[in-house]
Amino acid sequence: MSDYKKTVGIEVHCELKTNTKMFSSAANAYGDEANSNITLLDLAYPGTLPTVNYGAVMLALRAALALNCEINEDMFFDRKNYFYPDLPKGYQITQARTPIGINGYVEIGEDENSKKIRIHDIHIEEDTAKSVHQTDHSYLDFNRAGVPLIEIVTEPDMTSSDEAMLYLEKLRQLLLYADVSDCKMEEGSMRCDVNVSISKTEQLGTRTEIKNISSIRNVGIAIDKEATRQEELLNQGIVIQEETRRFDDVSGTTILMRVKEIGNDYRYFPEPDIPKLHLSKEFIRDTKDNMPMLPDDRIEAYKKRNISDINIKKLLQNKPLSDYINLFLDEDIDFVVLSNLLLGDISAYLNRTMKDLTDTNLSKTRCLELLTSLKEGKITNKNIKDILIDYLETTKDVDTLLKEKGIENINDTELLIKIIKNIIENNPESVEAYHNGHDRAIKYLMGQIMKETKGAANPAVANKLLQEELKKV
Amino acid sequence: MTDKLSREEVLHVAHLARININDAEIEKYRVQLKELLDEVDKIKDVTNYDKDMMITPVKEEIKMRPDVEKDTISFSLVRDNIPHTSGNLIEVPVMIHE
Repeated sequence: MSDYKKTVGIEVHCELKTNTKMFSSAANAYGDEANSNITLLDLAYPGTLPTVNYGAVMLALRAALALNCEINEDMFFDRKNYFYPDLPKGYQITQARTPIGINGYVEIGEDENSKKIRIHDIHIEEDTAKSVHQTDHSYLDFNRAGVPLIEIVTEPDMTSSDEAMLYLEKLRQLLLYADVSDCKMEEGSMRCDVNVSISKTEQLGTRTEIKNISSIRNVGIAIDKEATRQEELLNQGIVIQEETRRFDDVSGTTILMRVKEIGNDYRYFPEPDIPKLHLSKEFIRDTKDNMPMLPDDRIEAYKKRNISDINIKKLLQNKPLSDYINLFLDEDIDFVVLSNLLLGDISAYLNRTMKDLTDTNLSKTRCLELLTSLKEGKITNKNIKDILIDYLETTKDVDTLLKEKGIENINDTELLIKIIKNIIENNPESVEAYHNGHDRAIKYLMGQIMKETKGAANPAVANKLLQEELKKV
Repeated sequence: MTDKLSREEVLHVAHLARININDAEIEKYRVQLKELLDEVDKIKDVTNYDKDMMITPVKEEIKMRPDVEKDTISFSLVRDNIPHTSGNLIEVPVMIHE
């Protein structure tokens, strides 16, 4: 066990899900042909002027509210000056002094293990062009130039790689559910820079920055590797230098990029091409009122409807399913059945066919029909499998499909009583076990009924009749 | 507050400017550079970044643009102004360290 305590702070850049760029009206779209989504402004032609995208400001505001930030109602933009081919105008427009959100937090962990990771600020800025490096030349695609970003900066509140990963998972989930960004780390729409230092005292050690780590898992690995590297240096009496490193996911180590000799001086100054921006109370209130349902509110709603903890966890990991189940929150239905159905057979079908729910014919009305048929015993948990694929792929109703498949459930009480009596007679040990209070016995006897009826017995009816018959023995 | 920069500070600036300077020049610049920096330091006395600070020639607040695509140009329109391209990508001298 190391004597050193780790301190971690994280900066996350997240691309906003807008139709157009931050300061130009070119499309914001990933994966299009190179340099097809450009305006003269994106290429920094002289005489062009930036215009502020309402959609981007609204999404940034929504993110700031979702992360419990205080909102800066009076904002302006700043120029961050540096020279690089992916930024032909020579500066990035950002918010250095009046970030849209300040003093927020993200809560990680549960109950007594919960912890608030403080958010220093969230600010709006523009992305740079994408560079592709080859041996002889570099190549630029300006489709990404000007894409709206938010940068979310934490205080150095995390003390382990586990906490850092929990924070990133929670942040990603919040931004996804706030519908602010698609947060795809593999496509670069969410990018992490991590600051790591170690110290034996309360005074923080010298930090190093690890840039552009491509997955949350790699953030964890990078933090641990970097802390170990720093510890080895300190144990040899070597002073840690403030430097920027990058994570190499092949070797799983961090590699020096540049030493910060004197710190960065970007000569920030207010962007004179963009007048001040005032966020009205009405705009802030509307954004708050139209906030999509966030994870914590969903958990509460699902708990109220008796969905199991494990299913709640699975639903939150699958936003389309969670959004779908939310369509039913005002309905008087059995959410346990619905969540089991969605996470069981329907998810298996979607995974197998690589489809989304929206690719199927499971409209809300048809799903309600399916649930009613299950409730009434028209179909059982077993034979629903026989009609489900057709139900998802066609517009045929439950009755038609049952008829087509030749499926008939045994609701005939007389026939069922006959079968049950037979089973009771042939399984005296289980009957005795039932009377001695062994719960498993009734499950075994139910299994025998389903076996005998080849799954066609209506379970609710069969169970009721079995209990009645057992009382008579 | 001293009235001179240190020798190391002067040498650092000389290094950044890629110039060699002798001992006499170091002594001269210790004083001169400090005087320059003191002048620049006066900016700190100005109250900046307050809410009413003027940052643009107009006092009006900004009107935001609707999030609707328009004014996109074809790459072929600007290709002639770019010395080197490869397909639709713009070719520039190799960059080390992204």
